[in-house]
Amino acid sequence: MTKSAILLESVTKYYDLYTRALNSVSLAISEGDWVSIIGPSGSGKTTLLNIMSGLDTASSGTIRVNETDITGLGQNMLTRFRRENIGLIFQQYHLIPYLTALENVMVAQYFQGTVDKEAARVGLENVGLGHRIEHRPSQLSGGEQQRVCIARALINKPNILLADEPTGNLDLKNGEIVMEIIRKLVNEGHTVVIVTHNMDIAKQSRRIIEMVDGKISADSTPILTASVSARMEHRP
Amino acid sequence: MATSVEEALSFTKNIKLCLENDARCEPTNVNILIKLVKLYNYDKSLRAGKMFLRIVSKSLSKRRSRVAIAMVAVLMGAAMASGLLTVSSGMQDKLGKEFRKFGSNILVVPKSDRIEVGFPGISFGSVTEGQDVVLAGTYFDKTFPDLVTNGEVWRTGIRKIAPYWNVEGSWIEDNNDDQSAIAGISVAEKLNLRLGDYIALSYQNPENKNVSSERLKVVGTLNTGGSEDSQIFVALPNAQKISGRLGMVHSVQVSALCVECPAELIGAEIEKKLPYTQAKTVKQLVRAETLIMDQLGQMMLLITIVALAASGIGVMTTTMTTVMERRKEIGLMKSIGAENLKIASIFLTESVIIGFGGGVLGYFLGNILAQYMAESVFHAPISLVLYILPVTVGVSLAVTVLASLLPVRRATRIEPAIVLRGE
Repeated sequence: MTKSAILLESVTKYYDLYTRALNSVSLAISEGDWVSIIGPSGSGKTTLLNIMSGLDTASSGTIRVNETDITGLGQNMLTRFRRENIGLIFQQYHLIPYLTALENVMVAQYFQGTVDKEAARVGLENVGLGHRIEHRPSQLSGGEQQRVCIARALINKPNILLADEPTGNLDLKNGEIVMEIIRKLVNEGHTVVIVTHNMDIAKQSRRIIEMVDGKISADSTPILTASVSARMEHRP
Repeated sequence: MATSVEEALSFTKNIKLCLENDARCEPTNVNILIKLVKLYNYDKSLRAGKMFLRIVSKSLSKRRSRVAIAMVAVLMGAAMASGLLTVSSGMQDKLGKEFRKFGSNILVVPKSDRIEVGFPGISFGSVTEGQDVVLAGTYFDKTFPDLVTNGEVWRTGIRKIAPYWNVEGSWIEDNNDDQSAIAGISVAEKLNLRLGDYIALSYQNPENKNVSSERLKVVGTLNTGGSEDSQIFVALPNAQKISGRLGMVHSVQVSALCVECPAELIGAEIEKKLPYTQAKTVKQLVRAETLIMDQLGQMMLLITIVALAASGIGVMTTTMTTVMERRKEIGLMKSIGAENLKIASIFLTESVIIGFGGGVLGYFLGNILAQYMAESVFHAPISLVLYILPVTVGVSLAVTVLASLLPVRRATRIEPAIVLRGE
């Protein structure tokens, strides 16, 4: 039986008394799986992703990542756990503006405790940016910035990658380059969870979870997603 | 060390055995392994340190204007602290010298008060026609061989220790002058004396009742505003001759200048060196000196504290603004694995650099300020005090770090999930 990389049991998240972002969500994501989370804005996709990564905490329920119960961990423990187990990819890239591409990758190494310039350089080469390592984010295109973000997410060799709209700010060509890298990572055995609005991206994954009003409304494999897609497209 | 490929391979294999705790591991290799681990750890720390400095330096250079504002805030406080400290340290010396212009602060008298020869407050009986005045003998200007510097001349006398004495006419220049007298302004007015007039003195020895007479020319009139105005002054040897007490004195006035030590201490030292004497401090003057010094010191301390507090508030505001501006960056750092300590260390190191820079620059600016103050108040330059440099830098660092604590706390409380989604 395949082990669960991420296991959520009855996870509920309240932002305040009246705002419930997640409503008793239970979900198991196997190691090496590629899952897309889709749903309309405000449905709880990003909250779910943040709770998986430990960036946010649940109001109730249990979260296990790589067989570690992270539910009750304090902020510093969660940070430590995250940097060793999870790579994060953001829609806005979130690169440090005054550091070069290489340094943006090395900064993740620094927080991990092992700075290796050569490894960071190889990491950037793997995403096709070997020639842009000394450029600052403002000197890079959106696609290149996203690839730096991916290189940074991978540099500490996490086995789980969580991506929030990784192609959301990219044109078709750059989006495809990023998706190619993600496909490669999945083939290498990484567990990948992507939050997306783009059905074409979602269809490339092995499993699609649809969120509505903080609940999982559908959980399917791409071959069965035509109806899900149709429903999304007809939602006002 | 390995010298060939085979040796290198064998060495590597042995190291591998050591790592696997295999019994075949050679003990010498364990030591090499320990050294390698140490070297690796050292290298790891070095690289982490370099990366840390790179983050801090680039962050500072990216926000030059904010850094400059914070540094100016520190610089102002540091300059004020340094300037006032420099003035304060030089002021004690200079104010002490200023106070010495008001006369002696120690009076040395015999323990047994039997010798009555001439000094303020001691009456000689009837010295003029129907008018009793005090006759005082003193050195007006006297040089001695300097016992401390051995060979140089040490100059003293009433003109040196009481520069506020205002003499119209001329001073008695020669200490052996037995023809001249200086009359206090009140005596001169009562006796209607003018410069060049002669006065006849008669003195009755209280022991043998013998009466001696002298005729002295008034060469000057004295106006001090004090008890001296009611006295007649002659050269000390002349007073000793008139009173028949050659080589004797009743009291010695000492104008003691000692920075940061009470006049009582010098008095005690005099009593130790001159047995049978009593060294009394002129308490009013000493107290006034101490009071003024203390009050000036307190005022400067207050100004310094206010200036440092103002610069602390400046640094706090700037750092708080910086934290707010860098919320996303902080959130990002946390999301990719930075613990609170690492976030805090980045901000505090930036503060330390700003505090150090501001402190050093403030020290030099403070010195310029101190020079200006010394020139305008004391009309003399003030010397550079080096120990104030580490004090100023230390205080600046303390103020900067303290002022940064609240913003840093705010930084560590930033929730990455919230700031990264743009709220």
